[in-house]
Amino acid sequence: MIKMLKMFFGFCNKKRKRQFYLAIVLTIIMGICEATKLPAIWYLFKNIFEGTFSLTVVLHSFLIMLIPLMISMVCRYASTMLQCDGGYGSTCEKRIEIAEHLRYVPMGYFNNNSLGYITSVTTNSMEQLSDIATRVVMLVTTGLINTIIVVIVLFFFDYRIGLVALGGVLIFMAFNTIIKSMGKKFAPKKEKADLGILSNTLDYVLGISEVKSYNLYGKYSKRLDDANEYGRKVYQKVELSMIPVQTIQTYITRLIGVAMTIVAILLCIKGENDLATTMTVIIGSYVIYASLDAMGTFNALSKIVERCVTRANEILAIPTMNISGEQYKTKSSDIEFKNVSFSYDKKTIIDNVSLKIKSNSKVAFVGPSGSGKTTICHLMARFWDVQKGSVLLDGKDVKDYNIDSLMENFTFVFQNVYLFNDSIVNNLRMAKENASEEEINNALKLACCDFVYDLPKGVNTIIGEGGSTLSGGELQRLSIARAILKDSKIVILDEATANVDPENEEKLMEAIDHLTKNKTVIMIAHRLKTVRDCDNIFVIDEGKIVQSGKHDKLMEEDGIYKRFVLDRKDAVSWKI
Amino acid sequence: MKKRGFLSILLDYAGDKKKYYTVSITAAIISVAAGIIPFYFIADIITKLIDHNEVFNDYVFDIIMILVLFLIKGLFHVLSTSLSHIAAFQTIKGVRKRATDSLALASLGDVKSENSGSLKNTLCERIDSTETTLAHIIPEVSSSVLCFLGTFVYLMILDWRMGLFSLIPVVIGVISYGTMTIGYEKYYKDCIEKTKVLNDTAVEYINGIEVIKAFGKSESSYEKFEKAAKEGASCYVNWMRNCNISFTAAMSVAPYTLLAILPLGGILFFNNLIPLNTFVICVLMSIGLISPLINAMGHADDISKAQVIFKEIDRIVSIKRLSRPTVSKAQPKDSSISIKDVSFGYKDEEVLHDINLDIKANSQVAFVGPSGAGKSTIAKLIASLWDPNKGDIYIGGVNIKDLTLEDYNKYVSYVSQSNYLFNVSIMENIRMGNLSASDEEVIEICKKCGVHDFIMNLENGYDTVVGDSGSHLSGGERQRISIARAMMKNSKIVILDEATAYTDPENESIIQKSLAELVKDKTVIVIAHRLSTIINSDDIILVNNGVIEAHGKHKELLAKSPLYKSMWNAHIQAKDGDIND
Repeated sequence: MIKMLKMFFGFCNKKRKRQFYLAIVLTIIMGICEATKLPAIWYLFKNIFEGTFSLTVVLHSFLIMLIPLMISMVCRYASTMLQCDGGYGSTCEKRIEIAEHLRYVPMGYFNNNSLGYITSVTTNSMEQLSDIATRVVMLVTTGLINTIIVVIVLFFFDYRIGLVALGGVLIFMAFNTIIKSMGKKFAPKKEKADLGILSNTLDYVLGISEVKSYNLYGKYSKRLDDANEYGRKVYQKVELSMIPVQTIQTYITRLIGVAMTIVAILLCIKGENDLATTMTVIIGSYVIYASLDAMGTFNALSKIVERCVTRANEILAIPTMNISGEQYKTKSSDIEFKNVSFSYDKKTIIDNVSLKIKSNSKVAFVGPSGSGKTTICHLMARFWDVQKGSVLLDGKDVKDYNIDSLMENFTFVFQNVYLFNDSIVNNLRMAKENASEEEINNALKLACCDFVYDLPKGVNTIIGEGGSTLSGGELQRLSIARAILKDSKIVILDEATANVDPENEEKLMEAIDHLTKNKTVIMIAHRLKTVRDCDNIFVIDEGKIVQSGKHDKLMEEDGIYKRFVLDRKDAVSWKI
Repeated sequence: MKKRGFLSILLDYAGDKKKYYTVSITAAIISVAAGIIPFYFIADIITKLIDHNEVFNDYVFDIIMILVLFLIKGLFHVLSTSLSHIAAFQTIKGVRKRATDSLALASLGDVKSENSGSLKNTLCERIDSTETTLAHIIPEVSSSVLCFLGTFVYLMILDWRMGLFSLIPVVIGVISYGTMTIGYEKYYKDCIEKTKVLNDTAVEYINGIEVIKAFGKSESSYEKFEKAAKEGASCYVNWMRNCNISFTAAMSVAPYTLLAILPLGGILFFNNLIPLNTFVICVLMSIGLISPLINAMGHADDISKAQVIFKEIDRIVSIKRLSRPTVSKAQPKDSSISIKDVSFGYKDEEVLHDINLDIKANSQVAFVGPSGAGKSTIAKLIASLWDPNKGDIYIGGVNIKDLTLEDYNKYVSYVSQSNYLFNVSIMENIRMGNLSASDEEVIEICKKCGVHDFIMNLENGYDTVVGDSGSHLSGGERQRISIARAMMKNSKIVILDEATAYTDPENESIIQKSLAELVKDKTVIVIAHRLSTIINSDDIILVNNGVIEAHGKHKELLAKSPLYKSMWNAHIQAKDGDIND
């Protein structure tokens, strides 16, 4: 319980923590107010047994409950508001913190997987947590606080009864620890079962075509069924061994009640306590286990809190880089790598690479997949920070640029394009905020986006999520129109024309021709004739430059490049 | 889909463990009763105390009875919760099994159009999250409600005025709770809307972060997100602020039964209308009267959450299935294919109109056409990913609807660019093509299609586990393994749907070679966007706007179809851009 509160408070910022602390203080006041029911009962019965009973006594005892109730309501009102504000506020702030954090995360970190995960945490997990955050503190503390207060009140009536109650509460707490350690003991088994179900389900869902087309239905579903059955057995075993312990725990609260009753009877018979106190104590035994019952019902919640908080922290733990360099306008687009090495996950990806790319030249990177050619291009735009050596743009280390003024120099054309769920014109204005209508039309024309004018709403057409209404080729050309508007000095083409159908390829090539006119062009490609016309071709293998030079020179060498070209010749002229 | 109540869905999935729930409820009732009867003995104790009975032994029987009853209560509680847990886990297992089974029987195209991530999420985490509800709700809700009713009836028997008065705080509570619904619609809508805006903004901000950064827009996009996040929180706070008074009143007054019972009892007693011992016991019983009811109400939320999940499962289970017999009505006599009057549309929009086509056994045909023309859809219908809306497809003279899926799958292999490899060893993955194949036979096939060397170069050779950890296999390498698997299957009809697209260049020519091996002596249907690949086909079928516009050999088509000619020219030009020409 304390661990969960700690975790949750660690998640909140200072202001929110204060709100929750205040809510706890209010909860204590509420507990005290609620406990006045015992004095009220006592007062009434005392007057009855002492023969001083009157309607005024009834009114007084009513007021002893009513006035605290009023106070308690004010407290509850304030505390509910505090917790609501604190709960929604802290998840909101966490979302903003994540968004802020992402601004400093190296671009290279992002891929479909990581983005999907971050999105799911920022939306789903935080949504789940915000709902719970508003009540978690209340749920966790109320039962305990109320119990403690009732025990204290009982001490006022009779210290011996108070001791019995206290002893009972301690035993109850001890059981909590036992249950928890049992849960811990079972945790690895449960985890294993969960994992089995998860991985088998995933395999089954992703491989469903294969399951069907290879008639694996019986065989594969058997594996899944086994995992499923194993899971059921484990869960069942865990629960069945926990239930008796949990029941004994609740049973103990009843026993405390009975013990209190016995002590109360004995003290009454001996004449040590009067009847009013005795009655109040017996009634008090019921009050105490009503509040004890309210404890320990938040196990499911604590799981969710833990999961959501851990996920958010995971994202915030992604290392960031310092992007607050100098605002700098480049004069040239010369790029230079000086003994650059870069590794990721302890794996060396770029190994001591030095190269120079002159302004307005066209160069290509060629090499097997996984050789590091894409990473080299990413390092130019500081998607990552290099571990050794330096990357220079216009003679200045890319680390010394402010990130926006560095990015101004680069345009990337990928196979996958991302356009915002906004109008076409707003997507284009992303690149140049104050672009005139003429500039927009010009960019669309150069990027072969005539199709835009055939759309019912023209440039004001909203691009649907995932671009449902436009084809992949069209989206790609729109992204090129956007890049044309940006008009950066360096254009990086990363396999941009791979896998495009023939009717699109022609237009795409034309669009790219317009985009790359008078620019420094860096391409990662294997199909373009332009590779042959490049001023320089770098052949990359295992993170190193193994060959470089013009096409004709490379074709004379016996190396990867020549082999690669011959392979391609085979592939292209292949007939089935 | 028919609408069903939660309980009927639950019992439906519980299967043969249904009776566990019945027994669980019975046990819960006994447990509740054993919790109420002690009031009788407490009342006895109180009476004796008031009568100044000072012999402790007179109290012993009462105390023992109370202890015994509590023991019974505990035992039956264990029984009730244990049974409901057993039933719950069985239900969860059953639900999962039903859902995965129906995925295997549903038309593949529909399954493929589901988001696999959310499917996994539903089948694992979300189903699991219903456990608490399934396991606790039946015993807890039933015993909470019964406990309230039982105590209330007992109160009424003791003194009906006290009984009725005990309800006053609840009534006040319910009324104030009711006033919370004023303005509910407006606030609820606002919150839903703001949450949606927030989620959309988050999706855009995160998924578009590369673009945002590349265009130097991180400042303004961040501000937009910040605003959405703040509004997404404040709408809920506003809602709470609006209904907090009602909420506070309801939560404070409703459980405070004593507030009505104590003064009423005092007044009744003052007028000699109630004996003192009854008064005391009524006070005692009122203490825990309402909290079980509030407890039960707390589950309403859980139930509705579980309901949403079960509805989702119901939807998965009811994905349209292919109608196939359990025993094939006939066996194909050869590997010819014929398509008769086939029309098909994914949703409302028809994409294929009245297709008629005959493909001879062991011939090689290619589908070509502009993107979106429907060429791939025809192949997917032949591959039985969907059933046509109208018309029929025959293999070797047999309607594929008369074949079991199993028999059908023996005849047809569908190789696309995205073939899945299972999270088991490469050996096992390839063996899936033919489960009875020996290791040697697997290796033989691998040698034949040129993957043997590359597999042997892996650290663990054929025992390398493909999967998350084995994801260092490139797309091309995976494709090569999956082609070996298809070869292992050795079916008479092979459909290649852009099978070489999206592979890395150094793998492409190797893949092509293994494909050539795969299609030997088979009926082959090829969809390829590189037209030069298919010019030798026996028949080239030009699909445009959902109909077959023309077909014939390459030269015939060039002569008679302007569309084909222009596509060919475009291809030649693009090919011209390739490195070699």
